[in-house]
Amino acid sequence: MVEEEGRGDLRASHADREQAIEMLKTAFTQERLAKDEFEVRVGQAFAARTHAQLAVVTADIPAPPIPDQPPSISRVREQRTRREISQAELAEALGVSRQTVISIEGGRYLPSLPLAFAIARFFDLTVDKMFDPEEEEAGA
Amino acid sequence: MMAFIPPRLRKPAVIAAAGVLFGAAWLVRGGPLWWISIPALIAAPARAIFLYWGGGQDTDAGALAASHADERQQLLSLRSRALACNLAVIAAFIGLTAAIAVKAAWWWPFLVILGIAGLGYLLGLLNYGVTEAGTPDDVDTRHQTRSPVNS
Repeated sequence: MVEEEGRGDLRASHADREQAIEMLKTAFTQERLAKDEFEVRVGQAFAARTHAQLAVVTADIPAPPIPDQPPSISRVREQRTRREISQAELAEALGVSRQTVISIEGGRYLPSLPLAFAIARFFDLTVDKMFDPEEEEAGA
Repeated sequence: MMAFIPPRLRKPAVIAAAGVLFGAAWLVRGGPLWWISIPALIAAPARAIFLYWGGGQDTDAGALAASHADERQQLLSLRSRALACNLAVIAAFIGLTAAIAVKAAWWWPFLVILGIAGLGYLLGLLNYGVTEAGTPDDVDTRHQTRSPVNS
């Protein structure tokens, strides 16, 4: 569940482990896991070094529901989390406020063309790849 | 002149200056209401200090107070000011019609506000590009561009 396509051999970060443990906690509170099984899996999650090892721990647990938030037309959040950059760091690099990065990621604000180009350049992508996910999905 | 003032001090300086002028006006006016200048002269620096403190906060309001707003925050400010202006014009119109209805002598300040708002709007249209419409390029080149759908 935690593993994304093609990331299995990549080293897992602390945030990845925390995410997996959150999933286990949710499964435990929903009585999908017994207490002893929960404890064993949490230990495995802490010991996991790669995404593949983390994926094994959460493989039989259904994905959490997607939070109720407005659909984002951009891939800013996806690209930022993939590169493990904080919102504040991205904001500083782009010369905007952290609140503006949050608004762009949440789909509540469409950046101007100069800012859109700056964001795309920061992630080494083109503007259409950054702000038109449907285009990439269609081409995949 | 503002360029010489650090960004975070600009709005507090304007607020302080406006407050001091307002207080001074009551003081110069004199009479039994001269004491209004005292709270005005106290409130102005207090408000300026509050704005300066707010300018250090990591929020949209803080960025606006410290005059370092990014494009989204400037847009927020612009929309808020446009809304405030719309409400002021509506209030002035209601005041004008009410003053006319009751045959009051204080109708003209409302008319002045409406007139300034109207002139400001026209000035904005002129300043921000209405006159830059230009001529269509198909007229310039004597070449009629046709939509491939209609041709």
